[in-house]
Amino acid sequence: MEKQRGGPGLAHRILIIDDEDDIREVAALSLETVAGWEVLTASSGAQGLTRAAEAQPDAILLDVMMPGMDGPSTFRELRANPATARIPVLLLTAKVQSSDQRRFADLGVEAVLFKPFDPLTLSTQIASVLGWS
Amino acid sequence: MEPIALPLLEEAIQKMWTKFLPQMEERLAILEEADAALGADILTIEQRSAANAAAHKLAGVLGSFGLTKGTILAREAEILYSGEPETDPAAAAQLREITAQLRTLIEEKKNSH
Repeated sequence: MEKQRGGPGLAHRILIIDDEDDIREVAALSLETVAGWEVLTASSGAQGLTRAAEAQPDAILLDVMMPGMDGPSTFRELRANPATARIPVLLLTAKVQSSDQRRFADLGVEAVLFKPFDPLTLSTQIASVLGWS
Repeated sequence: MEPIALPLLEEAIQKMWTKFLPQMEERLAILEEADAALGADILTIEQRSAANAAAHKLAGVLGSFGLTKGTILAREAEILYSGEPETDPAAAAQLREITAQLRTLIEEKKNSH
C-alpha cells in the first residue's frame, strides 16, 4: 500500500536539483535512509523544471550554482509555472558570505540551507523549515 | 524506501566517499596545477576560474564526509582564487599551503579505511 504524503509525520517526496553528482547522491541517501522520504533527482535546472511539473514533489532542494540555468533562475521558472508555483523550494548553497545569503533569501524561497550539510540532520532541517516535524 | 538503521548510514556514506574519491582528487589536482602556475607566474584566467570552481565544490562536499577542516580550507582557497592572487605573492604561498593541507586530509581519510 502506498504511503500517504504531505503532512507532518507522513512520507514525503523530495526533488533534489543539483549538477554535482556527489552532492545529489549523498543528499538522496541521507533523506531516504534517515527520514524514509522518496527522493527524485535532476542534474540541471531545465531537467528539474520538467521533473517538478511531472512528479509534484512536496518540496524541492535546489542548488544555487549550476551551469546553464542556475538556482535563482530555476526558482523563478518554477514560480512562473502554475503547475509548480506552490511547491516549497529550499536553496542549497556553499556560499557563506552574508551578502549572498541576503540575496538568496530575498528571492522568496522557503529557506536557504548550506553546504556542506550533515547527512544525519539534513532531513530534520528540511522538516523543521517546512513544519513537517 | 523505508528508513534503515542509522548505523548503516555511516557505512553507506563511506561507500559514497570511496565512489567519489577520484572526483575529489581531480578537483585537488586542478588546485595543485593552478598553484604551480601561480608560482611560475603563468596562471591563466581559465585556470583561476577552474581553481575557484574546484575549491567551491570541495568546500561544499568535504564536510558532509566528516572533513570539516577540509571545507574551511577549501573555502579559503575559493576566496583567494576569486580575486587576483597573481598580484599578491603571499596569497600564492598561502594557496600552496592550503592545497597541501587538503591533500594531507584527503590522503589520511583515504588511508584510514
